[in-house]
Amino acid sequence: MEDLYSRLMQDIRFEEGLKACMNCGICTGICPAAEYYQYDPRRVVDLVQTRNNDVIRELLKSETIWYCGQCMSCKTRCPRGNTPGMVIMALRKLSQELGYFTASEKGRQQFAIKRTVGDNVLKHGYCVVSYDVDPAAHPEQGPAWEHYYNHMDDSLARLGGELNGKEGPTRLIPDDVLNELKSIFKVTGGQDLYDAIEDASEKKAEEMGMEFKKEGRDFEYFRHVVSADNGSHQSEPEDVRKDVYETRR
Amino acid sequence: MYMKPEGKKRIWAEYQKEIPDDHFFYVRSCIRQTFFAGSEQCFLKILRDDLGKDVFEDPRHTTCTGIGYHGDVVPFETIQAVVARHFSLATEAGYKHIAISCVTSFGIYTEILETWKHFPETLERTREDLYKATGRTFDVPETISHTSDIIYKFRDQIARKAKYNLVDINTGKPLKVVEHIGCHYSKMFPKSGIGGAEFPHVLVGMVEAWGGDIIDYPERRHCCGFGFRQYLVQANRGYSLFASRKKFESMEPYRPDLIIANCPGCTMFMDRWQYTIKEMDGISYGADGKGIPVLTYEEVAGLVLGYNPWEIGLQYHNVQSMPLLRKMGIKADPSERFLARDGSRLPEPANLING
Amino acid sequence: MKTNTAHIIVAGGGVAGMEAAGTLAGMGYRVTIVEKGDEPGGHLLKWHALFPDRRPAEEVKDYLRKHIENRNINIITGTTVEKIRHHGGGVLVNLSGGTEEKADAVIVATGFDLFDARRKEEYGYGIYDNVITSAELEGMFNRGRVVKADGTVPARIGLIHCVGSRDEKVSNNHCSKVCCVTAVKQAIEIRKMIPSCEVFCFYMDMRMYGPYYEELYRESQEFHNVNFIRGKVSEASVNINNRLVIKVEDTLAGRPLKMELDIMVLMVGMEMAGAGMKLAEASGMKRGINRFLETTDHHYGNNLSGIKGVFYAGTCTAPMNITDTISHARAAVAETVRYLNGR
Repeated sequence: MEDLYSRLMQDIRFEEGLKACMNCGICTGICPAAEYYQYDPRRVVDLVQTRNNDVIRELLKSETIWYCGQCMSCKTRCPRGNTPGMVIMALRKLSQELGYFTASEKGRQQFAIKRTVGDNVLKHGYCVVSYDVDPAAHPEQGPAWEHYYNHMDDSLARLGGELNGKEGPTRLIPDDVLNELKSIFKVTGGQDLYDAIEDASEKKAEEMGMEFKKEGRDFEYFRHVVSADNGSHQSEPEDVRKDVYETRR
Repeated sequence: MYMKPEGKKRIWAEYQKEIPDDHFFYVRSCIRQTFFAGSEQCFLKILRDDLGKDVFEDPRHTTCTGIGYHGDVVPFETIQAVVARHFSLATEAGYKHIAISCVTSFGIYTEILETWKHFPETLERTREDLYKATGRTFDVPETISHTSDIIYKFRDQIARKAKYNLVDINTGKPLKVVEHIGCHYSKMFPKSGIGGAEFPHVLVGMVEAWGGDIIDYPERRHCCGFGFRQYLVQANRGYSLFASRKKFESMEPYRPDLIIANCPGCTMFMDRWQYTIKEMDGISYGADGKGIPVLTYEEVAGLVLGYNPWEIGLQYHNVQSMPLLRKMGIKADPSERFLARDGSRLPEPANLING
Repeated sequence: MKTNTAHIIVAGGGVAGMEAAGTLAGMGYRVTIVEKGDEPGGHLLKWHALFPDRRPAEEVKDYLRKHIENRNINIITGTTVEKIRHHGGGVLVNLSGGTEEKADAVIVATGFDLFDARRKEEYGYGIYDNVITSAELEGMFNRGRVVKADGTVPARIGLIHCVGSRDEKVSNNHCSKVCCVTAVKQAIEIRKMIPSCEVFCFYMDMRMYGPYYEELYRESQEFHNVNFIRGKVSEASVNINNRLVIKVEDTLAGRPLKMELDIMVLMVGMEMAGAGMKLAEASGMKRGINRFLETTDHHYGNNLSGIKGVFYAGTCTAPMNITDTISHARAAVAETVRYLNGR
């Protein structure tokens, strides 16, 4: 059986991110995810430093490691020089490499991120492309965005850009450049990670009896992973000492 | 209010970083290009036209893949090589100073340079990877700055050219400004941010140079809530909304006139979530109780220099800036906000705040 | 050479320096105390009551003052020892102000500095009102009033353990040892002074290592209603009512919490004194990774510098309480005398 801790130690972010934790809680005290989700970065780091394979495997399959928002507020404060946020990044990478991420509802969402942001990088040379931010899928973007989206040529022209132009904001990234990116992804393991996410997700979709397509987003499994919420993720404010503590949420 | 400014000044004096004077290699931001294209163009115009600086842009540069990296779909080795490719473009063009538009990018470039410094084998590996993938070589740049660092550096020159100030012309009082710093600007490497991580000075310096007053409030350092995957995936968006809301409720007692942010994502979220909260709960924040305009520092610099608000893109925010413009004495015709290329009027969006 | 015509210079007139000087003088030696302040006493001059039993600090100050009332002792104030070097069979000591003194031996008792709380920027010391250090709180005890900056009576006070200690971010990985018991002592004192004021201690560990310390901890809970929350405070800010807002995790409950405080007391740790560091640099005295002076053996050579004729007493070697400082100073005297006799 592979030693998961050793595998984690190969990730330089993990090596940087975990020296030894004394459980002071300074990270959890400042963590936005700890306020919103049932999440405690201190506990995650404490579990990881047991170096126990079973404990780490459980973490890799759990919802827990997907709650962090990578704000890195923890890095600023930790008195032992740890960074729970970087430990999380290493755990997430390993979870995807090993296919464990599909065991959790939040973990399965990685498929959506790969198909949107991930594919955008290699197809367009951007993480986010304006014509992809469909107001119908993003009502929170509001009327200003909806107008801009529907009148992008006119709006951009006024601001000094051109959608898919030669230069400037939202210019077209030419094919030879995209080929360089693709090549970089192949050489550095980026494509391997994309493939691992795709393969595990396809398997999971089959297991769950859901429709899966090898391209695009218009199918059952994709729609499921972006919207599923079993309601168990958020924290319940049980303020035992209401007289003293402000409510956490 | 209940603060001793000397204490903050002492901290700011300790965290002064080197920002170059000229000759920048500019790399754009996915979010800023998409949502605040006018901001990026405004930055370039200010630097080139108002300040006479050399800012070079190679159109072959791409995303740094930062959102993918923090969305955990792009490995660290990959992003190092993508960033190294940008360094290669800069080296080709003869530039040693990188000007970075996105705060996530800035955090990543800083993280990469720090990693290369402490683990030289990672730099060697990246050189090999980039060469193998593209045949490119590169020099490590001398400096990297966020574009807000650069505007900060020239804030006094901008102040001298200012046509408008961050002052309410009706009362003569400075505007009350909330400054919001993107988490990845200095939380990871406090020395890489002007003023450090606890009391960053990059936006404070701008606001004060242009006549405004800064508000400190309990949730000042709280993340806006982007959270990468926490926004990208629809099921997680509550996290993002919750974080911004926390900030609004914390700043509300101080009745801010304006929020200025250096990260494009933060600017976008704090604008969008005000709209969402209004739609969901009918609640609005701010001095007028009608929403707090959230501007990029480029937009604020542009207003101060007298640029046309509609040409820098203020109309494409959900919280419209009219109350702010009125306070500053900037005359801008709201009917000229939404125009087509040929100057004809486009249908105005409904439900804008302060629309 | 007859040992009791020997002249010993004691660098530093705090607790260790006074104890060493008085003991040596009592044995018939000539002693010169060089003290940087206006009078001897060091940090002890600031304290109100001492743990564990909260006896008045004045009593220990009195003991030490009487201890150095001896015509064999010469006290030079407003002066630091800048360099020690060998000369002939003894030492030559350079003082600030330009003079040189000859001696047969030197006891270095330069003590500690309190951690500069401004370095923990996230706590807002020196920026927000009502963020004070434990030393400043002790000053309030001396004046008989614990009040907020605006003069009003606090309703809730928080004491933050480990400020500037056990913290890589300020390059102090060491534990300053006495802050935990100081916090418990001060918590009790606040509760007695202001029964209406709630008191919270925010700790990582409760290091109640000395005699009656653990009992004091229990007393604080059993009789004085001091609250203890296990979690290191992450940040402090101020709200519109000028109350401090802190964020911390209650690690035993496993949940983050926010709380308003009227006064936040930072239990600042001990660092090697700056004047002592300069002396060490100039004189080739080795320092350990915690920047305190390194002794030749931490079990049985804990007063020895490894430099002929130079001995160490007190907190210039490590954080310690007053009891141990006095014992350490007496041990330094024993080592010095042994050395002088053996020449």
